[in-house]
Amino acid sequence: MDYIPATEKDIKEMLNLVGVSSINDLVREFIPAFRGKLNLPQPKSELELLGHMKGIAHTNKVLRCFIGAGAYNHYIPSAVSHLLARGDLYTGYTPYQAEMSQGTLQAIYEFQSFICLLTGMDVANASLYEGASALAEAALLSCSYTGRDHIFVKEGLHPQYLEVLQTYCEGSELTVTDKIDDKTACVIAQNPDFYGNIENMHYLAEQAHSAGALFTTCIIEPTSLAILEPPGKYGADIVAGEGQSFGIPLSFGGPYLGFIAVKDFLLKKLPGRICGMTTDSKGNRGFVLTFQAREQHIRRERATSNITTNQALMALAATIYLALMGRTGLTRVAKLSYARAHLLNGKLEKVGFRNLNIKPFYNEFVVKVPGSAEALASRLLKKGILGGVNLAEDNLLICCTEMNSVQDIDDFVSAVAGD
Amino acid sequence: MKIIFEHEEENNTGHLQEEDVCIELPSDIVRKEPLPIPNVNEVDVVRHYTNLSRMNFGVDIGFYPLGSCTMKYNPKVNEDAARAEGFSNLHPLSPEECTQGSLKLMWELKEYLKDITGMDDFSLQPSAGAQSELLGVMIAKAHFRSKGEKRTKAIIPDSAHGTNPATASICKLETITIPSDSRGNMDIGRYKELLSPEVALVMLTNPNTLGLFDENTTEISHLAHKNGTLMYCDGANMNALLGITRPGDQGFDMIHLNLHKTFSTPHGGGGPGAGVLGVKSFLAEYLPIPQIVKRDSRYSLDYASKKSVGRVRSFYGNFGMHVRAYSYIHSWGTQIRKVSEHAVLNANYLQDLLKDTFDLAYDRRCAHEFVLSSRRFGEKSALNIAKRLMDYGFHPPTIYFPLIVPEALMIEPTETESKETLDRFVLALKKIASELKEHPEIVKQAPLSTPVGRLDEVAAARRPNLRWRPSQRQTKVE
Repeated sequence: MDYIPATEKDIKEMLNLVGVSSINDLVREFIPAFRGKLNLPQPKSELELLGHMKGIAHTNKVLRCFIGAGAYNHYIPSAVSHLLARGDLYTGYTPYQAEMSQGTLQAIYEFQSFICLLTGMDVANASLYEGASALAEAALLSCSYTGRDHIFVKEGLHPQYLEVLQTYCEGSELTVTDKIDDKTACVIAQNPDFYGNIENMHYLAEQAHSAGALFTTCIIEPTSLAILEPPGKYGADIVAGEGQSFGIPLSFGGPYLGFIAVKDFLLKKLPGRICGMTTDSKGNRGFVLTFQAREQHIRRERATSNITTNQALMALAATIYLALMGRTGLTRVAKLSYARAHLLNGKLEKVGFRNLNIKPFYNEFVVKVPGSAEALASRLLKKGILGGVNLAEDNLLICCTEMNSVQDIDDFVSAVAGD
Repeated sequence: MKIIFEHEEENNTGHLQEEDVCIELPSDIVRKEPLPIPNVNEVDVVRHYTNLSRMNFGVDIGFYPLGSCTMKYNPKVNEDAARAEGFSNLHPLSPEECTQGSLKLMWELKEYLKDITGMDDFSLQPSAGAQSELLGVMIAKAHFRSKGEKRTKAIIPDSAHGTNPATASICKLETITIPSDSRGNMDIGRYKELLSPEVALVMLTNPNTLGLFDENTTEISHLAHKNGTLMYCDGANMNALLGITRPGDQGFDMIHLNLHKTFSTPHGGGGPGAGVLGVKSFLAEYLPIPQIVKRDSRYSLDYASKKSVGRVRSFYGNFGMHVRAYSYIHSWGTQIRKVSEHAVLNANYLQDLLKDTFDLAYDRRCAHEFVLSSRRFGEKSALNIAKRLMDYGFHPPTIYFPLIVPEALMIEPTETESKETLDRFVLALKKIASELKEHPEIVKQAPLSTPVGRLDEVAAARRPNLRWRPSQRQTKVE
């Protein structure tokens, strides 16, 4: 395929105007030439290309999924992908020119609103890359606000999130510690945690605040917010996490949707873009990017973050998803996910598995399996079931959503029970 | 236009079946008030977002010469490829026997990018260019730490993207800003004076944000290396160089590419992008884990690197963007040089047609973009011209950037625009230039044809309304 409209005649006229005889002469004039030959594949027609791409996709195997651990297999209403495929939305860029980008801007405003309504926080930004780096941004924000440089992480944070946090802290010369004291900038706790445990967070929030630290909740499975107490109610100053559950496909780990929401007093420290409502010259309502003086293109080395491109289209997907599901639909997602996980857990307990959760759980749980977790996982794999994440020799982290039918659950149980 | 929360409550029960579910959770952890999000029926949700899309502008609607952003056409076939079931529904923690296709694609993409840039290894993990920069600076720090050196400064020209100094500062490096010389290059004299043993890296955008290839690149690299300093290339402008020159051959030790610019993955209204980081072999051990490796004909994820700086995000990167970029590279294949040749031709054609109507920031042959100044039309003229361009059906160029050019209009046409489109754009800008002389009030009132008129940004910041609140229901706007 060749996406260049210029004809030979056009090229000739343009070269004449520029005053060179060939394109080659034009690029030679200012660029040291590369004389080698690129080792790239042969060009393909669209027909050939699609065949090639589908061929690669077919070598992947998509199985019945009982894995979560930071990526959740929820139902995506058909209308989401139809709306996202509108070229006027996905082929634009950052809405610097507000008058031409009201669609994107209003959708960002709605996204910020949805995140605030779900989390009980005051203000959210337009999105961050994904959950783990969003959490790292929350840590940087906390250090900048408090002038302190220690981060406390409660046990039970997703291990990849912890790794990302440590990488960012190393780069920014901050320390991840195991105690809360007068150096602690923020206390971080994931809820439900990596193992699925749901904690009463009031106590931890109080502990953070009495040490003068900010309290950050990390939410990685946000459908849980449909039935769980919102973090804003239990004293979170920052909520950071992953919004993939809201209408975004698994897509082998990305693109996903980082989000961050804070209480009002932290607004000026928020990283990334923020959209605000305003009026135009005739008094009509409209939307613009606002508080841009926090951002890198204006503030340069004094910016609150270096983020520029974010995950706008994923934020739009989440916004459309939440609008489509509504209060009723999202509550059903949460109730069904909860019910399926508890159904599977109950059935597994009957065939000799032991649940290891120390607290109530939502849609993810850990079981001690009879025998080795690895052997079990490969038995499930043979039945076309992605059975869970092996945490230790005999521990398996299992997840259910509304996508796991009662039949799937019975198949899971009969595969592991050996009949 | 209503916002979604202003729709009247409607029946909305169709996406999932209702089942009798009993939630047995302690009362101190459950939501006590009803979930405060509205129920709107699908038909009204679809109309709502379709109508919002009609208030937006994208490459699919018209010319979008937003400088530094490479707003080229996004081939539709790449969208279909990324939506293939095997890619879009694959869980990232699936065992390797289920993910060979994805791993192969990522591995081959790295190979292509190595070849195109002249680097020795790549990480596809960073989510966008700015995160690649962050990773690059972390790698530079790790490199010097392992050599027992403490270097605390980064040299960055004043024409650089704001992300460069912002990134350096997050990593606690002090930025040394070097001014541009009269030809738009980094001032080599000042550079020589300020290059000291404390400088960890030089962050150079090449071609720079003025659209100019730095004529001293090789010398800058040579001096940096003699000083033990690393050369980092902000490859945002790689669309000028494909198959023509390789940053790896000019002495750069690291480069990030923005797949959403050069490799045509859609900009999505602000993202997702994908930033990928290429390095020379002596830095490869610091790249994030996991790395994708190929042994015999099997692909796997390798977590072994002991010196890796760690992870900058969960999983493996914005995979959906990798699929699109890979597909794009396959469509061009060995002919990819044509992309940059036409990007450069289109930019020079436009520059030559416009340089008498406006002031050219630097009168040189440009690469894939160029910067005009509208200073002869007075203060705020770049803003007014931008707004007026909308009335002619064009997205405005980037304005007031780079910061070193007054009343800057930064224009990047890309290779996917026809001569006819470029000619129409020139006519529009010339017409606006004469309007500025004859009827300046029209230009100052623009835009007149957009869904809203010029918006009050000062009021937005002074009286922030950043979210809808249930209490707004009573005082809703029509």
